[in-house]
Amino acid sequence: MLAAFLLLPLAGGLLTAFLPDSRKGEARWIALFFTSLAFLISIIMYVMYDNTAGGLQYVETTEWISTDLFTLSFGLGIDGLSAPMILLLGLLSVVAVLISWNISEKTGQYFSWLLLLESAVAGVFLSLDLIQFFLFWELELLPMFMLISRWGTGRKLYSATKFLLYTLAGSALMLAGFLLLGAAGGSFDIQTLTDSPVTDAAIPLGFIFWSIMLAFLVKLPIFPVHTWLPDAHTDAPTAVSVMLAGVLLKMGGYGILRIAVPLLPEVAYDSQTILATLAGITIIWGGVITLRQTDLKRLIAYSSVSHMGYVLLGVSAMNSVGFSGAAFQMFTHGTITGLLFVMVGYVYERTHTRQISEMSGLMHHLPKGGVIMVIAGLASLGLPGLSGFVAEITVFLGALEPHPVATILGVLGVVLSSGYILWTVQRVFQGPPRREWEHLRDSTSWYEWLAVAALLIPIVLFGIYPALLAESIESGILPIAQVMEALEELV
Amino acid sequence: MFLPDIPEFLIWLIYLAPLGSAGVIAVSIFARRTRLANVLPENRAGNIAIVFAVLSWVLGLWTLDMSIGHHGADIGLGEYLWLSIFDLQISFGLGIDGLSAVMIFVVTSIALLVQLYSMGYMEHDPAYSRFFLFMSLFVASMLGLIMASSLLQLFIHWELVGLTSYLLIGFWFDRPSAAAAAKKAFIVTRFGDIGLVLAVTLIWAKTGTFSISEINEMAHVGLISAPILTGFTIGLLAGAAGKSAQFPLHFWLPDAMEGPTPVSSIVHSATMVAAGVYLLARFFPTIEAAPASVSTAIAYVGGFTAIFAASMALVVTDIKRVLAYSTISQLGYMVMAIGLGGYVAAIFHLFTHAFFKSLLFWGAGSVSHATGTFEMPKMGGLRTKMPLTFLTFVIGSLSLSGIFPLAGFWSKDEILLEAWHVDKLLWLVGTIVAFMTALYMFRVIFMTFFGEYKGGDPSGVHHSSEDEAHGNYQGHVTESPPAMGVPMLIGSVAAVILGFAALLHFGEFVEGALPKEMQHFHFHMDSFVLTISTIVALGGIGTAAAIYLANQPSSAVIQDRFPRAHNILRRLYYVNEFAETGVVRMALLNGVARGAEAVDQRVIEPVVNGVGSGTKLLGEALRRTETGQLQSYTSLYMVGVVAVAGGFLVLSGDMLSSIGIDVHAIIDYSFKLLNPKNLIPPK
Repeated sequence: MLAAFLLLPLAGGLLTAFLPDSRKGEARWIALFFTSLAFLISIIMYVMYDNTAGGLQYVETTEWISTDLFTLSFGLGIDGLSAPMILLLGLLSVVAVLISWNISEKTGQYFSWLLLLESAVAGVFLSLDLIQFFLFWELELLPMFMLISRWGTGRKLYSATKFLLYTLAGSALMLAGFLLLGAAGGSFDIQTLTDSPVTDAAIPLGFIFWSIMLAFLVKLPIFPVHTWLPDAHTDAPTAVSVMLAGVLLKMGGYGILRIAVPLLPEVAYDSQTILATLAGITIIWGGVITLRQTDLKRLIAYSSVSHMGYVLLGVSAMNSVGFSGAAFQMFTHGTITGLLFVMVGYVYERTHTRQISEMSGLMHHLPKGGVIMVIAGLASLGLPGLSGFVAEITVFLGALEPHPVATILGVLGVVLSSGYILWTVQRVFQGPPRREWEHLRDSTSWYEWLAVAALLIPIVLFGIYPALLAESIESGILPIAQVMEALEELV
Repeated sequence: MFLPDIPEFLIWLIYLAPLGSAGVIAVSIFARRTRLANVLPENRAGNIAIVFAVLSWVLGLWTLDMSIGHHGADIGLGEYLWLSIFDLQISFGLGIDGLSAVMIFVVTSIALLVQLYSMGYMEHDPAYSRFFLFMSLFVASMLGLIMASSLLQLFIHWELVGLTSYLLIGFWFDRPSAAAAAKKAFIVTRFGDIGLVLAVTLIWAKTGTFSISEINEMAHVGLISAPILTGFTIGLLAGAAGKSAQFPLHFWLPDAMEGPTPVSSIVHSATMVAAGVYLLARFFPTIEAAPASVSTAIAYVGGFTAIFAASMALVVTDIKRVLAYSTISQLGYMVMAIGLGGYVAAIFHLFTHAFFKSLLFWGAGSVSHATGTFEMPKMGGLRTKMPLTFLTFVIGSLSLSGIFPLAGFWSKDEILLEAWHVDKLLWLVGTIVAFMTALYMFRVIFMTFFGEYKGGDPSGVHHSSEDEAHGNYQGHVTESPPAMGVPMLIGSVAAVILGFAALLHFGEFVEGALPKEMQHFHFHMDSFVLTISTIVALGGIGTAAAIYLANQPSSAVIQDRFPRAHNILRRLYYVNEFAETGVVRMALLNGVARGAEAVDQRVIEPVVNGVGSGTKLLGEALRRTETGQLQSYTSLYMVGVVAVAGGFLVLSGDMLSSIGIDVHAIIDYSFKLLNPKNLIPPK
C-alpha cells in the first residue's frame, strides 16, 4: 500500500514527461488520475491505521546493505504522526493538479515535476531509515527548483537558486549529523535509534542535534533562516506555493518530531528554551513583517513564517500537549494556507495583479471567491469553529507553563494575524468597487470548486470536531511524550 | 415552578434554533437561482428568523421557569467530550442557573424584538437575507456564550460573537468607514482577548479543568493560590474590558455604530457588549476569592469608564454615538458594581439596561429612517411628526436617567447603594455620572424632538436610495412602519415595569448561582442615596432644558467659555489618534515592522546573498569546464542523485566484491573510525 502511494505519482510523472506538447490536455488528466489514486490510498491508510495499537504499521522493508556493524534498509511505514501528513500530502497534491489546470507551457513536463515532488515528499514522510530520509529530502529539491525557475514569475531563477542553496546548506550538516548518529548507534534505523537513543558520539551530541535541527529550522522556516520563503513563494506558480506552504514546510516540523527530538531527547529537552525563544521571535517577526506587505502572495508567505513559529513553540514545550499542538498546527496550516494561496491564485488569474493597492471592493465582482477568501482568512487568524483555533489553543495550553514569555508572544501573534488578515480583507474585498474591475466575472470552473472544497471541508470538519484528527496525533505523539515525561521527572 | 421540567435537548434547542435559522437562510441564499427558491424564497429570511426566534424565546421562558423552581442553583446537565488529547480533556455542556437563565431571557427577548424591528428597518436593503443570516448567527453565538458550562466553550462563543459583530458592523462593507470600523472592533476586542486566552490557559495549566463551576468551587474553598487567582482574574478583566468597551479599550464601540441600527441595539448595547460583565459575574466567586486589589482594580476601571464615557456623550452630535458612549458609561457602572461586590446590582442593571437602551436605539433608528441622518443638528421638531417615536424615546431616556419608578431607577440605585457602602469616592463618581446621563439624554431629546426641523439629510446616511424612494425628506417626515413601532412599544413597557422585578426576588434568584455562603442579598433602599440620585437626575434634565431648550446659557456660550475643554471632548481625548496614529501607524507599522523588514533585507539577506555569490564564483570557475547552462547543472545534479542511489544498489548487489574489492570492509572500517566506542582502547 505505502509503496503504491510512493510510486503512483512517480509513475504518472513518467507518463506525462514523455507526452508531446500537442497533447497537454491528456497530461493533466493523467496527473489528476494518479494523484487522486494516491489520495484515495492516503485516506484508506489514515482510516485503517489502528490508533489504539499505535506504532509503525504497514511496514515494508527491503535490505540494501547488511554487515555486522550496520544495516542500510529501504523501508516504508506509517504511524500516528506520519498518517496525517500523508493524508495532507495526498490532498494537497490533488489540489495542486486541479489549480494547475490552465498551465499551457510544457504541460507534460510541468506535471511530471509536480508528481515527482509528491513522490519525493512521500518518501520523506514514510522513511524508516535516516539515509533514506536524507535521500528523499534532497530529491524534493530538484522538482522544486525546476518548477519555480521554469514556471514561476518575476525573479524566478534567483528565488529558485536561493531556495536550493538555503536548503542544501542546511541539509549538508544534516547528513553529517545522521552519519555520526548512525555510527554511534550502530544503525540508521529511526525506530532502533528512538528505542535506544545514542548517549555518546564522536562529537558532542549538542553539535549533532543542532546540525540536524538547522536543516529542519530552515525548512520550517524559523528566524533568522526564513528569508528564502517569501521569495520562493512570491515567484512560484500557485500550485507550487500550495505544495510549498502545505507540505514542504511540514517536512521541517515532521523532521523535528520524528528525528531530532526522539533520537536526541536529552539534548532536545535541554535546548527547549532556545527553541521557545526562536519560536516566539519567529511568530512576532513574521507577523509584523506581514503587516507591511503590499503583494498579496508575499503577504500570505510571510504569514506562513509566523504560523510555523507555533509549530516550534509547541515542540519547545517538550510535553504531550505541546507536541500534539505542533502536529495539529502542521496539518491545519497545510490546509488553511493552502486555501489562502489557492484563493490568491484565483484573484490573480482574474485581475492579473497581486498588488493590494490596486484592488478594492472585489467582493462585488468576485463574491464567491471573496467569501471563501474571508473564511480562509478567519481560519488563519484562529477563529474557533475552524481548525486553526484548535491547533493554536493546544499549543498555548502545552507551552504556557514551560515557556510563559514565548506563549504570550504567541498569543500576541494571534492579534497580529487578525490585524493583517482583516486589513487585507478590507483593502482587497471591501470598500467601494472600482470601475476597472467591472468586467470581472465570478464564474468558477469545476476544478476550482473542487480544489476549494477539498481544502474547505477539512478546515471546517476538524474545526468543529477535532477528535477526528486527535486520535491519530495522540498515538503518534505518545512515544516521544513518554520519553519527555520521564526526562521531566528526572529534572 | 409552573411547568414540568424542561428536557435537556430542548434547552439545547434554545441555542440550536438560531443556528438552524442561519442554516435555512444560508440555503435559501445559495439556492436563490434554483428551483428550491420557489419553496424557500430568499426574501423570507426575516420570517424564518422570527419563527426560530420565537421558538428560542418560548423555550427560554420554560428554562427560566425551571430555574426559578431550582431557586437559581445550577440544574446540573450532561457534559459531552469534545476533544481528548493526553491530559487535555475538553467537554462541553450547558450551565443553567439563575444568572444564565436571566441572560437567556434577555437575549432571546431582545433578539425577537430586534428581528421584528429589522423586518421594517431593513425592508428595502438589497442584502436583506444576508442581514438575517448574520443576525441569526450572532444570536446563536451569544446564547452559546451564556449557556456554556466550560470556560473554553464560553471562549469559543466569545470569539464567535466577535466575528458576527465584525460581519454586522461591516454589513455595508463598500463604505470604507464601515469596513474600517468592523476591523477596528474585531482587533481591539481581540487585544483584550490576549488576557482571556492567557487566563484560560493558565487556569487549565494549574487546575486541569475548564469547568466554570469547578473553577469557582476550587477558588471559593481556597484550592487555588493567590498569584494564580490574580493572574486569572486580571486576564478575565482584560477580556471583559475589550468586549465591554472599558477604558482603555473602549474606542471601538462608537465606531461600531457604522453597522445597521438594529445591530447597534442588540450587539453593541444590549447583549454582546454586556458579555464582559457577564463573564465577570460568571466568575464572581473566583474574583471574590482573589486578592482584594483585583476587585478594587475592577471597580475603578468601571468607575473611570463610566464618567469618562459620559463626558464624551455630552458633546457628540451623532445620536447613535451619544447612545454608544452612554452604553460604555452604563457598562462601566456594571463593571464597577462587580468590583464593589454588587453582583446582583450589576446583573440587575444589565437586565434593565438591555431593554431601555435597545429601545433608545430603536428610536434613533426610527428617527434616522425618517430623516436620513444621525446628526442631531440636522433634526429637530420631530415631536409632532413622530409621536410614537418621541413618546417611547422619552420613556427610555427617563428610565436610563433613573427616574422613579422606571426600570433604570431601581437598578442604578442598587449600584449607587453598593458604592455608598463600600467606596464613597466611587459613589460620588456614580452620582456625577447619573447627573451627566440625564443631561446628555435630554440634550438628545431637546435637539431631536423640539425646536424647528432642520431638514434632515437628503443624501442620506446610508441606504439613501431606499429612503429617497419613499420620499421621506423635508416635510415628508413620517412615523416608522408598525414592524418598527411594535417593538418600540413593547420595549417602552419593559423600560417602565422591569424594575419591579426587584420586588419579586430577582436578586435572590440570580444569587442562586453563587455558593451558599455568598448568598446574602436582600432588597432594600436607602432614602439618602435615593434622594440624592433623584435630585441629580432631575437636575440633569433641568440643565439640559436650560441649555438646549431655553438657551440659558446656550451651548455656544459654554463652548466659547471653555474652548480647550470642549475641544478635548470633541476630539474624544485623542484616544483614536493615539491608538491609530501613535500605536498602529507609527510604533507598529513604521517602527517595529519597518525595523524587522529592514533587518531582513539589510542584514540577513546580504549574508545569504554573500554565500550565494561565493557559490556563484565557484560556478564561474567551474564554467571553464562546463557550458554554464542551467540545464547542464540540473542534469549534473540528476546524474549525482542517480549515482548515489545506484551506488547503494550496486553495493547491495555485492558487485564490487565480486571483482575483488571488499566494500563492506571499507565502510565498516570508516564507521569504526567514527564510532567513539572504538576510539577507546580495549582494556
